[in-house]
Amino acid sequence: MPEVYTSSSDGGAGVAEYELTVRDVHKTFDPGLLRRKIHALRGVTFEVERGEVFGFLGPNGAGKTTTIKAITGIIAVESGRIEIGGHAHAAPAAKRRLGFMSENPYFYNHLTGRELLRFYGELLGMDRDRIRRRSGEVLERVAMQDHADRPLRSLSKGMLQRMSLAQALLGSPQLLVLDEPMSGLDPLGRRDVRDIILAEKGRGTTVFFSSHVIPDVETICDRVAILIAGRVRAAGSVHELVARRAEMYEATFVGTDPERLRTPLVSTHVGGDASWVRVESDHRDELIRELATIDARLVSLTPVRSSLEDFLLGQFAIEEEP
Amino acid sequence: MRAIRAIAVNTLREALRDRVLYLFLGFAVLLLVSSKLFGMLTVGDEGKVIKDLGLFGVQFFSMLIAVLMSVLLISREVDSRTVYNILAKPVSRWQFLIGKYAGLLATVLVNLALMVALLVLVVLLYEGQLDARLLIAGAMTLMEMTVVAAFATLFAVLTRPMLGSVLTLAVFVIGHLTRDLWLLTGHLQGEGVRWLIGAAYYLLPNLERFNFKTEVVHSLPVPAAAVGWAVVYGLAYTGVILLLACVRFGHKDLA
Repeated sequence: MPEVYTSSSDGGAGVAEYELTVRDVHKTFDPGLLRRKIHALRGVTFEVERGEVFGFLGPNGAGKTTTIKAITGIIAVESGRIEIGGHAHAAPAAKRRLGFMSENPYFYNHLTGRELLRFYGELLGMDRDRIRRRSGEVLERVAMQDHADRPLRSLSKGMLQRMSLAQALLGSPQLLVLDEPMSGLDPLGRRDVRDIILAEKGRGTTVFFSSHVIPDVETICDRVAILIAGRVRAAGSVHELVARRAEMYEATFVGTDPERLRTPLVSTHVGGDASWVRVESDHRDELIRELATIDARLVSLTPVRSSLEDFLLGQFAIEEEP
Repeated sequence: MRAIRAIAVNTLREALRDRVLYLFLGFAVLLLVSSKLFGMLTVGDEGKVIKDLGLFGVQFFSMLIAVLMSVLLISREVDSRTVYNILAKPVSRWQFLIGKYAGLLATVLVNLALMVALLVLVVLLYEGQLDARLLIAGAMTLMEMTVVAAFATLFAVLTRPMLGSVLTLAVFVIGHLTRDLWLLTGHLQGEGVRWLIGAAYYLLPNLERFNFKTEVVHSLPVPAAAVGWAVVYGLAYTGVILLLACVRFGHKDLA
């Protein structure tokens, strides 16, 4: 397989280390006369390394789907650069590396699953034998081999999601872009999609996917980027992002009311005789000393493991601050 | 080329599995049958009446398919977001558009071929002889639909679906009146208005160039040069319209 070269910032050429590069991408939608323009993307920048699973997180309206539409060439960007495997994203060479699954699968109702794969196989430039062989493989991989000859209109949402994944895998892509692949799936379906993503990673495929389901992202992603209001607010491994967040402790005690404490508390809860408070690690010792001073009895003190969800909610809170 | 063919075949398959198209065919059959009835009510020249009505039906239903399919040609792909999966594959936007156009034209061709075949059969049964010249008239109707379908594709890209259909229908109607526009310029006083009408004459398609019904129905000679020029004109006009559609579609956000 030929090596892929890309120009680096110093002007030289080297082997592309990233499967996907999105650099300073801006996109504005103009809803028409007398209506304010919508700045959907405001300099989105991130890179996805070869062979990693990269999660793209953000609240509704953050610009996740717009970014994915820009990557796949469905919309044109005003400025910025997107490269797939070192190729400009709209180039056929880039598209040949790409497998794409859109949010909520939309297909031709008049086709069966197998006809759909044949159609997409032809678009990918595959010959008949390869289409037949690959169709069988991907249908088996998504456990749809028994439903492949049914009209798509008769399939359930979960089945359509699997068919969508099958067509994304058809061309043996190096980069798999999945827009909310777990949305609307039951726990079993989510587990299957998760397994498929991990299996693709095992084959060396780079996976980029957006999701609202944070536990899934935490479980399978090597790195994540958090997009808020059209900007990447943070990017890195889940461990790195969570470590950035101040560590906290939970203390349970009896003998005093939390409201009487001078130590800064993050949150409090009173239940019966005991009180429960959360305190940042910087104030842990101060709390212990104060409880000892007022003769309150400390029952337990445990560190709180910060999660990606905590980090994400923290980022949302920063965004919402006036 | 494979991508264009795949999209065209998919468009044709979608249309053929759409029962609305079979309805059109049913109507066409009805019209051809009724033309025979009209023929029976006419004293003399019954064959001509059948041919005339039959060719009108072929043209009318072909136009109807082009106009009504233009409503769904691009909008269905965008609204149902099926276009997302296509454009994420190594398929250029112009290939997608030309594929859709080819699929529309193929749908018109399939229906037109069936209607002309039926007309030839009815005439054969009625006159006892095969009139191959009907095939020329049918082929020229297809040429006309090549231009009309190109406009349908352009309007599908430029405007909303319903407006696109209305505009395509308007082009079909005006396209048969452009000769009258030219005659009108001779009767106008103002230089500006004459220039404007003249410009409209040259810009709008002259669909009467493809009309050889009179020659075929009345067994008059069909000038080969006129047929040849009509084909060249139709192909050139179609090429320009499709080029405009491709340029516009190339920059269109499909979100």
